[in-house]
Amino acid sequence: MTRGALLRFGLLLAAIVALPLAVRPVVASEIWIFAIAGMALNLIFGYTGMLSFGQATFFGLAAYTAGLMMIHWHAPLLVVLAAGTVVGALAAAAIGYVCIQRVGTYFIMLTFGFNQMFFFIAYKWTAVTGGDDGLPGIPPLALGPLAIRLDSSLRYYVFVAAVFLLAFYAMKRIVDSPLGVIFQSIRENPGRAAAVGYDVKRYKWIAFTIAGGFTGFAGVLYSMMFGIVPLESISWIISGDIVFMVLIGGIGNLYGPLLGAAAFKWLSEAISVVWERWPLILGVALVLVVLFLRGGLVEAFRRLRDALGPRARPEPGAKLPVGIAAETEAGS
Amino acid sequence: MSDGALLRTERLTCDFGALRAVNRVSLDVRAGTLHSVIGPNGSGKTTLFNLMCGEIVPTDGRVYFEGRDVTGLPSHRLTHLGLARSFQRTNVFGKLTAYENVWAAAFARRTPGALGFLRRASEFSEVDEEARRILGEVGLAHKLTARAETLSHGQQRALEVGVTLASSPRLLLLDEPTQGLAPEATQQMTRLVQSLVGRYTILLIEHKMRIVMSISDRISVMAFGELIAEGTPDEVRENRDVQRAYLGARR
Repeated sequence: MTRGALLRFGLLLAAIVALPLAVRPVVASEIWIFAIAGMALNLIFGYTGMLSFGQATFFGLAAYTAGLMMIHWHAPLLVVLAAGTVVGALAAAAIGYVCIQRVGTYFIMLTFGFNQMFFFIAYKWTAVTGGDDGLPGIPPLALGPLAIRLDSSLRYYVFVAAVFLLAFYAMKRIVDSPLGVIFQSIRENPGRAAAVGYDVKRYKWIAFTIAGGFTGFAGVLYSMMFGIVPLESISWIISGDIVFMVLIGGIGNLYGPLLGAAAFKWLSEAISVVWERWPLILGVALVLVVLFLRGGLVEAFRRLRDALGPRARPEPGAKLPVGIAAETEAGS
Repeated sequence: MSDGALLRTERLTCDFGALRAVNRVSLDVRAGTLHSVIGPNGSGKTTLFNLMCGEIVPTDGRVYFEGRDVTGLPSHRLTHLGLARSFQRTNVFGKLTAYENVWAAAFARRTPGALGFLRRASEFSEVDEEARRILGEVGLAHKLTARAETLSHGQQRALEVGVTLASSPRLLLLDEPTQGLAPEATQQMTRLVQSLVGRYTILLIEHKMRIVMSISDRISVMAFGELIAEGTPDEVRENRDVQRAYLGARR
């Protein structure tokens, strides 16, 4: 690991420890849960160049799956977590296969359309989902054969933080693998990616499916938090929130969605106490980011660092693994 | 098909609506040669390339690569068979570094099984070596970490060729590699193309007649979507139809 990477990871660990001191543990848990969903969107949007406006489909389907398994079968926590991940990935494989047949706006509208469809099913199929009232009655959580109880929100936070780190490591390995370069080459120039020999649709499909798995994983964690699966978990509002978080944090960077989720959830928590029209402020924040800070909070940190001191450049001829930071001389 | 034709087209035809862009073009590219396609602007050269590379499906006619009918195969499949092209307008991965550009192309030909994707990209030392070797060959060894979009036009043209070479093709389709280059950069590019002769079979589209006449083994001449002549540089130079259609216009 380079010094910079080590430093970033150290800061992440510090944030995980410090967060429950700064905000309520429930909000702290939500931050890492949505950070996982944000990382997933970042994989398809930031890395592969496909903006999905329907990630709540996979979030919600996994949340309902988890809720139903826990209520009716009292399925163990880790089994539920795995099942939700698989459901998210399978749903994304099926839906994504259709969506990736189109690009740009049509792709976005397809993801949105599927989201609305599944929202409507969840809304109307009250016998299974509880409809508007949500799916209540999820039993208290216990982890593993030792039955470590996760009944306090702080204990649950520790669990969420631990599995978040696992998810983060998995995502890092994905973007460090050849897939990271392939996805970015598709984002930059799908035509050339095909010309050099990549089956573009296939790799888009792979990205979408992986993201669906991660989003499902986050959805399960969300369903366990309140003992109820709210209808909201499959609504387009969650889809939009995930897009906001990723944009505010900065796309195409592993840490962007983390910063975005933290800023989004912390802002909404802090401001909603003072002023119930807090979404207005979030809207303004988003407009400002899009207008002046396209790289999001990650870009803000980068500018701050560049302003504070000259940055070290890689020495010419040094070993250059794929994915090294590019020179940024021309205003990138 | 045992006459050494690496690529053969038979009566290849392509219509864009009412416009016939390529009309019954039959062409053999023999293994080991540098074969050029020339013709005035709009004569259908690039469309012919796009048909050969699977980017456009022909209206009629066939394309054979090593005797195998590859008509209508998508471009990513053709690359794996050993056919790679460069583009007339630079067409690289702008926000990736020069190194990553070439790496992506070199890796595409070596895609491992699913388990290979558990490794980090930096662990594929043979792809790494290949990417560095090619960047050195096209004269970009000092620009490994530069984003492609920050390179000069000449460097981008060199990268364009480098990305194509990284596919380790047996047939290299070069679409006007000197397009828009200053005289000195044009010379460098010409030397680069010459250095590839022998190692690759090359089909070259080029506008600059002096280059074409000096480095080609065979030349095909197109006008209005049709092949009007083919032969050695000397034969083409002497050809009346060619003089009328193309060279004549310049005198």
